[in-house]
Parts: sequence; C-alpha cells; structure tokens
Amino acid sequence: MTRESPRKAILVVMLTALICSGLVSAAVVMLRPIQLNNQMLDQSRNIMQLTGLLPADGQLEDDELLDLYKTLDRRIVHIDAAGFDGEIDPVTFNLSRADNDPELSVGIPPDQDLASLGRRSSYTPVYMVWDGAQLDRIILPVRGNGMWSMLRGYIALESDLNTISGMTFYEQTETPGLGDQITHEHWLEQWQGRRIYDAQGNPRFRVNEGAVQPGTAIAEFEVDGLTGATVTGNAVTGMVHYWFGPHGYRDFLLALREQPPQRPVEDTP
Amino acid sequence: MSSMQTLTTPLVRQNPVTLHVLGICSALAITNSLTSSLIMSVALTTVLIISNAAISAVRHYLPSSVRLLVQITIIASAVTVIDQFLSAYMPDAARTLSVYISLIVTNCIVLGRAEACAMKNGIGTSILDALGNGMGYSIILIFVATIRELMGAGTLMGFPIFKLAHEGGWFQENALFLLAPSAFFIIGFLVWGIRTWKPEQNEKPDFEPMPLPPREER
Repeated sequence: MTRESPRKAILVVMLTALICSGLVSAAVVMLRPIQLNNQMLDQSRNIMQLTGLLPADGQLEDDELLDLYKTLDRRIVHIDAAGFDGEIDPVTFNLSRADNDPELSVGIPPDQDLASLGRRSSYTPVYMVWDGAQLDRIILPVRGNGMWSMLRGYIALESDLNTISGMTFYEQTETPGLGDQITHEHWLEQWQGRRIYDAQGNPRFRVNEGAVQPGTAIAEFEVDGLTGATVTGNAVTGMVHYWFGPHGYRDFLLALREQPPQRPVEDTP
Repeated sequence: MSSMQTLTTPLVRQNPVTLHVLGICSALAITNSLTSSLIMSVALTTVLIISNAAISAVRHYLPSSVRLLVQITIIASAVTVIDQFLSAYMPDAARTLSVYISLIVTNCIVLGRAEACAMKNGIGTSILDALGNGMGYSIILIFVATIRELMGAGTLMGFPIFKLAHEGGWFQENALFLLAPSAFFIIGFLVWGIRTWKPEQNEKPDFEPMPLPPREER
C-alpha cells in the first residue's frame, strides 16, 4: 500500500477521527459535572447577592453559599393568573426552557413587547426573603433584548413592592467598554432605593440620558445613563417597563399587596 | 537553525502577528483586558504545542491529499478540549473570552505552523517552533492589552493603576481604547516601529508603476 493510495487516505482519516473524537468526548464527559456546578454556583451567587443575606465582605465558601441558597423560599408564579402556582416544582423548573416551550409560554402582543422578546414563559420562579413573619424582599427574574444580546438578570424589590433593593445581570454580551457597563457595580448600586411605579401605578423607572438631575420630580425613578451605550440603556428601560407593566408582573405584585404572602412554616430540627 | 534560533526567531524577526499579519482577529477582539490576553496567550500556545507535536509525530503517515483535513481535525480537537477545561476550571475567564477560544481553530498561526514547520521537522523542533510562535503572539497581545486596558479603564488585570476622574482622581479614561479599532491603531504603529527598526521586513511593492513614456511620444 503506497503512501498516496486512496485506501491509505481513508484509513488515516478514519483513525484520526476516531482518536480525536475519543479524546474530545472524554474531556466533555469528565468535565461536565464541574461545569454544571460552576453554572449553579454562579446563578446562586447572583441571587444571593440580592437577598442581603450574604456577609458584608462577600466572602463565602462555595458550599456555604449553596446551603444558604437552598434555604431560600423559592416559589413558582403563574404570571398570567397573577398568583402562585402550586404544581410545578421550583427546584427543577427551567426558566429558559419554559420561555421557548409552546405549552408553557405565551406570545407577547407586539404593542406591549417593550423588551423585544416575542414569547415569555407563563411561569417564573421568584425568591422571597423573610424578616421574621414579614416579607423583606422579593427577587424577580427579568430579561430583554439589548444591542447585541439577550440581557438576563434579577431585580429585587423591597417589601413595598415598588422600591428597588438591588439589580444584577448574570448574562449579557453587550459591547465591551460601552454596553457592558450595565454589569459595573458602581452603576448597579444606583438602582438601590429607586422606585419603579409612580403614584398612578405605571412603571416610570428609566435609564436616563446623561446624569440624573438630583432634586427633580423624576429623580427617584432614574439612574444615570451610560456613555456611548444609549441603545443598551434604552433596552434596559424597555425591559423594566415590560416586566413591571400590565403584561409582566404588575398584576401579580398588585395581588401580593392586597393579600400579603405568608411565610412558609419551617421544619424545626 | 539551532534550537535557540528556532525558539527566538518568531519573537520579533519572524513575529507571526507583526510580520506575517496572522492571528489578527483575536489580537483585536480580546486585548481590551490584560487578563483575557494572558489566558488567550496561554491557550493559543498550548494548542500550538499540542497540534505541532501531534502533526509532526504522524507526518510520515499523512497522504498529502488528506493532510489539511487531518491537521484541522487535530487542531480542532485540541481547541475543544482546552475550551472545556477553561469553562470547568476558569468559568469567569471562559465567559469573558466566549467564542474566541473556539475560534483558535481558525487562527492562521496554528495551521500555518503545522504546514510550514510540523510537516517537515521532528517533534522536538516542532515543539520549540510552536513555543516560539506562541510567545511571539503572546508578546504582541500583552503589549496591546497593556496599552488598551491602561488607557481605556485605568486598570491592569482589573487592579486600579490610575485613579479615575469620576472616582475623584485625575485620569479621564478613553473608551475608544476598549473598542476594537484602537487595537488596529496600536498594532499598526507597532508594525511601523518594527519595520523602521528592521527595514528588511518591509514588503516589496506588488507592482512598479509603469514608467511614463518619453515626452515627445505623448
């Protein structure tokens, strides 16, 4: 068999493909558990940051973090029914899968689709933080299309269900240096204490163009604009308006205000 | 060439980025932060070493009709494995670098060295050549990233170096340095500088303009 014969060529290609696919598969299979664990840790850290339960210096071992995360009061909300759902297990519920599942999601009317989503899941997980028997914070997932990418994050509200106690983005690939300023801490810190709804109950919060003018009537609804990232800033405004508007969480939050939720009875050890 | 020369020639004299103008895509994309650039440099150098060694080891058995196919398969496997390792052990870095790690497959330096060196030389020489070219690429990345991160954000590897104006300091950061065009300028100036220092790197013009005919024939 000479070096250039077709049989040899096929043999060499088959062998290479076999060995290489073996190596790649082995790496993927062996590293998969570690990668899943990283994803879960990252997600839990993002949510825990909004609860106010983390130690002030933010230093926490991974397993301590997970233990804390597991004790959070997680529930599933049926957004269109404006109430809690008792059937879906909040631990196994996968939001991004439900967003595309025709049976679990609904289309968004184009005139209300301020976050350019198309569809959204009817169900969503929420996280509740308790202070004694009182609701301290509620953490709600939000997402919206930015300049290049889907922005995914969480907004935490205080017990008045209007004042923002924190905001975090856990997924975005906006322009480095411009749009990705939405993940910078000193910008996100401004969200704390801002309000979402005005006195009429309409979402009023927005990312300003330029700096917020303190003392003006709407300053309590605004955070500073991001230089060079007007599109991303407007997308964030649209995202908040959609998720806290009539097609988003508004009715659920109104229902919560009418009928405050009860702290679940904990199993005392 | 001695082994020392194999290792050092690609650093400046035959630098893959500034002389051969290869690997520009990643040099533009990820050099806005020094940390990303360092990780990218290590990832590319590792892929180069693995692929050069593997291709050099099988070079006598490769029929030339399918050699590119086999080379790319080996390179792509090495890249995928490294991508998986990064997302398992350095998840933050993997998220920042996103697609650019997988794009090492299309980095011309890797296939270029496979064809130009690994197909013709023994494993030892190929590994040295890979290391040299990887370092040549890394030098450029680190140089560009240092300028960009310092001017664009006032930090290096995320640590504040210059105190920013909006935090009460003196340094007004320039967001242009965080965008890809600034890497074009910096690499351009770098190529200019190196070619002024080493004029033999200047390329011959593709064609000479035709001389004008003598005046009386016009």
